[in-house]
Amino acid sequence: MSNEVNYGTIIKNGIFGENPVFRLALSLCPAVAVTSGVKNGFLMGVAVFFVMIMVNATVSLLRNFINPKVRIPSYMFIIATWVTVTDLVMAAYARDVYKQMGLYIMLIVAFAIVLSRAEMFASKNKLFPSIVDGAAMGLGFLLALVLLGVFREFLGKGSLWGMQILPGKPVLIMIMPAGGFFAMGLMMGWLNWIG
Amino acid sequence: MKEMIKMTLGLVAIFIAAGLIMGVTYKYTSPVRFIAEKKEKEEALKAMAPDATDPIKPAGNWSSSHGKPYEYYLATSNGKPVAYISSTAGKGYSSFIAMLVSLDTDLKIKDVKILHHGETPGLGDQVEDNSFIGQFKGKVLSQIVLLKTETKENIQAISGATISSRAVTNGVKDAVQTLVDKYGAGIKTAAQEVAK
Repeated sequence: MSNEVNYGTIIKNGIFGENPVFRLALSLCPAVAVTSGVKNGFLMGVAVFFVMIMVNATVSLLRNFINPKVRIPSYMFIIATWVTVTDLVMAAYARDVYKQMGLYIMLIVAFAIVLSRAEMFASKNKLFPSIVDGAAMGLGFLLALVLLGVFREFLGKGSLWGMQILPGKPVLIMIMPAGGFFAMGLMMGWLNWIG
Repeated sequence: MKEMIKMTLGLVAIFIAAGLIMGVTYKYTSPVRFIAEKKEKEEALKAMAPDATDPIKPAGNWSSSHGKPYEYYLATSNGKPVAYISSTAGKGYSSFIAMLVSLDTDLKIKDVKILHHGETPGLGDQVEDNSFIGQFKGKVLSQIVLLKTETKENIQAISGATISSRAVTNGVKDAVQTLVDKYGAGIKTAAQEVAK
């Protein structure tokens, strides 16, 4: 890795070029599971955003200390620690949000995107670029979830952020898991086409 | 051999540090969380019987058909009962749906509130919508029957979320049955005394 780090490229990569959901196709399971509504997708994205920054920062700081042979258990433990801390802090200080997404937070431990950024970026780069990468990737994930959520909630429930816009439910299948894959496939195809 | 020890010690150091971080976070957040949860429970209880002026007191325990223990409460206003409240739950599609049910002194349902659940977002979580949960208001025990057809007299299930609808209905029914068993006799004697 060269010492010259282009932050613009990192940010662009995280959001567009290597968008976690649409380009890297990582963490598709949560992307399908929580995007039946915009609100759920957004809250999940915010939680992942913070966890990714913390994990990337920690892994980057410890990159010379972690033995490469045991790096995966080390990363897993770092991720689990920050997820647990996020869960505990939210349960105490953000009760309303926690009630909405308490179920989802613990799932972040197993998100492929968090582990993959620790392995691919943070373990080879200095602290600050790693934080930027975590933030960019987290933002890319957040945007992808919101986009999917808007698409699915609007078509599946005729509402956005819980507010009814269309009468009735135009395409009910969109809020079911199968509809999640349809939505994701259509989005990926669309992004490939305009890219 | 030397590398192996180094590797192990490195891992152990990370694990200990992580354990310390989690422990410290837990130590400082758990009292805040405990107080918040207790307050939420009290507020939820109070919202079930807004006309009660006295503090709502626990009146006893009961256990439902699925074997879990629940509490029931008596809400009074100047010493006179105004509402009977019970916690309850129903086994839904992917979770237990925890609820509070309150009855007025005529043993009609005053209010039903869902406290927490883990049903499918977009499908099962529609039981929280007022169009479903509002159906319970004013109903008596014999009316709490779930139907899949349109009904005003009974409870209409949500299409696509029948299991969650049934869970709520069964949970409410258990609670109403319990409260009627506990307090129904008292009502009867009071009515008889008035008749005399």
